[in-house]
Amino acid sequence: MSTARENIFSSIRSALAPLPSRTPRPEIPPGAAEPCWLDRSADKMALFVQRAEATGTRCFTDPSACADWLRTQNVSKVCVPGPLERLKSLCGAFAEVVDTYRRADVDDIDAAFTPAAGAIAESGSIILSDESTPDRLAALAPWHHIALVSRSEIHLTIADALAAHPDDPNVIWVTGPSKTADVEGILIQGVHGPGAQACLIV
Amino acid sequence: MTISSRPAGRSVQLMATCLCDAFFDSVAKATVEVLEHAGCDIEFPENQTCCGQPAFNCGDWPASREVMRHTVKVFEGEKPVVVPSGSCAAMLFHGAVLEFEKETDLPAVKHLASRSWELADFLVNGLGIQSWPGRFPARIAFHRACHTRGTGSGDAALQLLQSIQGLEVVPFGEAEQCCGFGGTFSVSFPHVSSSMGCLKLEHITAGNPDFVVSGDMSCLMHLGGLAERSGKPVKPLHFAQILQSALHTHA
Amino acid sequence: MPEQKVELFARRLDPGVQKAVHDNSAAGTLKRYSILGGDYDTPDELRRLAGQIRQHSIEHLDTYLEQAEKSLHRHGAHVHFAVTAEDACQAVSGILERAGARKVVKSKSMISEEIHLNDHLATRGIESVETDLGEYIIQIDGDHPSHIVKPIIHKNRRDIARSFEREGLGDYNDDPETITRRARSFMRRKYLEADAGITGANFVSAESGRLVLVTNEGNSRFCLAAPRVHIALVGIEKVIPSDADLAVLLNLLGRSATGQQLTVYTEFINGPALTGRPSGPREMHVIFVDNRRSEILASDCREILRCIRCGACLNVCPVYRQASGHAYRSVYPGPVGAVLSPLLAGKKFKELADLPKASSLCGACNEVCPVDIPIPDLLLKLRNRGHEEHAPSPGTPPMGAFAMLASSPLLWRAAMQGSRAMNLVPLDKLPLPYLQPWLKTRTLPEWRGGSFRRWMKSRHSR
Ligand code: SF4
Repeated sequence: MSTARENIFSSIRSALAPLPSRTPRPEIPPGAAEPCWLDRSADKMALFVQRAEATGTRCFTDPSACADWLRTQNVSKVCVPGPLERLKSLCGAFAEVVDTYRRADVDDIDAAFTPAAGAIAESGSIILSDESTPDRLAALAPWHHIALVSRSEIHLTIADALAAHPDDPNVIWVTGPSKTADVEGILIQGVHGPGAQACLIV
Repeated sequence: MTISSRPAGRSVQLMATCLCDAFFDSVAKATVEVLEHAGCDIEFPENQTCCGQPAFNCGDWPASREVMRHTVKVFEGEKPVVVPSGSCAAMLFHGAVLEFEKETDLPAVKHLASRSWELADFLVNGLGIQSWPGRFPARIAFHRACHTRGTGSGDAALQLLQSIQGLEVVPFGEAEQCCGFGGTFSVSFPHVSSSMGCLKLEHITAGNPDFVVSGDMSCLMHLGGLAERSGKPVKPLHFAQILQSALHTHA
Repeated sequence: MPEQKVELFARRLDPGVQKAVHDNSAAGTLKRYSILGGDYDTPDELRRLAGQIRQHSIEHLDTYLEQAEKSLHRHGAHVHFAVTAEDACQAVSGILERAGARKVVKSKSMISEEIHLNDHLATRGIESVETDLGEYIIQIDGDHPSHIVKPIIHKNRRDIARSFEREGLGDYNDDPETITRRARSFMRRKYLEADAGITGANFVSAESGRLVLVTNEGNSRFCLAAPRVHIALVGIEKVIPSDADLAVLLNLLGRSATGQQLTVYTEFINGPALTGRPSGPREMHVIFVDNRRSEILASDCREILRCIRCGACLNVCPVYRQASGHAYRSVYPGPVGAVLSPLLAGKKFKELADLPKASSLCGACNEVCPVDIPIPDLLLKLRNRGHEEHAPSPGTPPMGAFAMLASSPLLWRAAMQGSRAMNLVPLDKLPLPYLQPWLKTRTLPEWRGGSFRRWMKSRHSR
């Protein structure tokens, strides 16, 4: 084992040794990668909603509007974790509600709410982490996924989100519903992950 | 090579290019008249041949270096070297430096590189000419030759052309695509090369221009040859020929 | 005259496939152009910055790789090293066997193609299913990807419907939505049954140890949600200094690859799942693979190691658009492949030394490359190497006579003048093997050798 490691490191070192000089680490100017339309003083929440909708993520600020949407989608079994009593009763009006996601139910649960770690306004992305979102499958397998995003945890830019990366073994940014264009370049949503991605801003 | 560091006096050496030497004397003549109108005093080194690009592109760098060493000798001195071809100019200021990277005479090659200009780039960015007098009543499609990517040449030629009265530039699709010439590529990949050229011609002729214009006779020889063979009405023209014609109407 | 292999392939390519490849590539180029141009005033500056980040990274690979290894250890991941493709395959099957894993789901990874992992796993009796829709179709067809981002760019919906029917995924149906739904429900089972998920990585941050994975379908996320073991195969050149560099690289990757600001899923992983979580791997293994990358680092083509596999150079390449990916006979097609594939071939360099010649050197690849790789320069260097090693190159004229002529001004002028005789004979009858391919589709202008020189002289004597 260690010999492979040593081999590789020694080949790298001897490859680099003859270089007369090495490229220095570039200074990344603040805002270097920000799109030119970005307004640093913009309202983060408004920008997030605009960008998220543009990538196909539905945004709700009112739980009952969100529940109404699920009803029109003919959702029959919803996973609403933990102490979200209001959502539970809203969804309970038209669907079966469970509060833990079980693998055995993977074909039956067609909507799930999961708490998010934050969001990114610039790209309209939702941030999920192991800490915030206990079950990776719950946020992925159902056709409808609704992330619960706290208003105070919206970062303005991708760079800001990277700088504030949670110390978590797994962080994922979700930007719109799962999609593919593999077949003749035609866009189809809902390949492996949610076909309908939403967020409820609380 | 930073553009601003290149010399830009009005006393210049002209590299006519092997294609103009062999086929397109009219383009070389136009270049001379255009430079003279710009107030240049032109020296034409008699012993010039070719920039060595064919061998360079084939991978035969020793052969190419032999030619380049000759070229360096022919174009000695401090004057700007002006070339009516984006690709030969790029050979002087880029390709030559690449093939001499490990050679002891690299400094001499770099010296020539640092004086070399493509014609339009020289007129606009070297001499500061912003517009061109005269008329040329025609619709043209301007093909930005690939070897001028990342240089000021394409914009410079367009700026001059657009300032000529009566001239209309017709835009076309997939403009960033190569015409398919590529030097010896056109003979070792004849099918791919012609297919690329036909596609280019299709895009160009969609807007019915009278001429396809470029700063490289190599692209134009290929496109013109394809157009003629396939009976397409568009005629090739070097931008220097348009500048020259416009001057005649002006005078 | 013998033909160049890429030329031959292009000439024989089904016109329908050629058109599909062309149109899809052209659409990709357009999307990239409009989003980059729309979002940045000076996208070229950003590309150069990204290029410098990557060049700096590979020129400090020893430091950053070691740092990445330490960071991953700190977060509870196991780190392995593999010198060759064979070693990498052995490392994967060793981990799987120790973990008692028989079933594997895989998310798209170019390096696993490079080391032929699926073939290896099959010989060990391990079932390995490609989960990316395109890659899955490639797998069931026993085919090879023809594009690094759009693996089935060469197939149409009817081809796919037939393959699905053959595999028992339902009756013939070529509706793309139906095809996708069928894959969705088939894959569900596979994810849930799998013991391990295998992924690649787009970047590895040395500072945090985070592997970054980008996908649109969500398949890599599924590979890291259902199974209990995660194995990541990573080329050693993928390391970058820190998470902060990702702001530049991610913003360019999505836009260059698919015309998106970000791909749908951007995942950051530096260890097994938090304990007590119902889903996510209990074990994480990272295998850093060399497979000649250190050799490339030692060569004068090391800039190709900057590549972030966005596929923009394929989309824009006029030769790729004519020839499609299989013409390149290797895992990496298009401009990046024309450089990388012969280098990765090691002793078999000559077998792929024709690839660097399959280019008009138009430079469009360099112009779109998010990390500003000077691809044409690298192609030229490899042509020179091919020449030095006497690699066969059909259709390439010998240059000795030209060089002699072009460095003897007297001979040159005589030849210019003398060749006027060409105007007097029917050119297509001349036994000049390099002239005939030209004349097949094009005319040649009249030879006027020496005319300009005479005119120039006469003006001076006036
Ligand atoms: S060489 Fe550049 S353009 Fe081509 S795939 Fe790699 S990063 Fe993308």
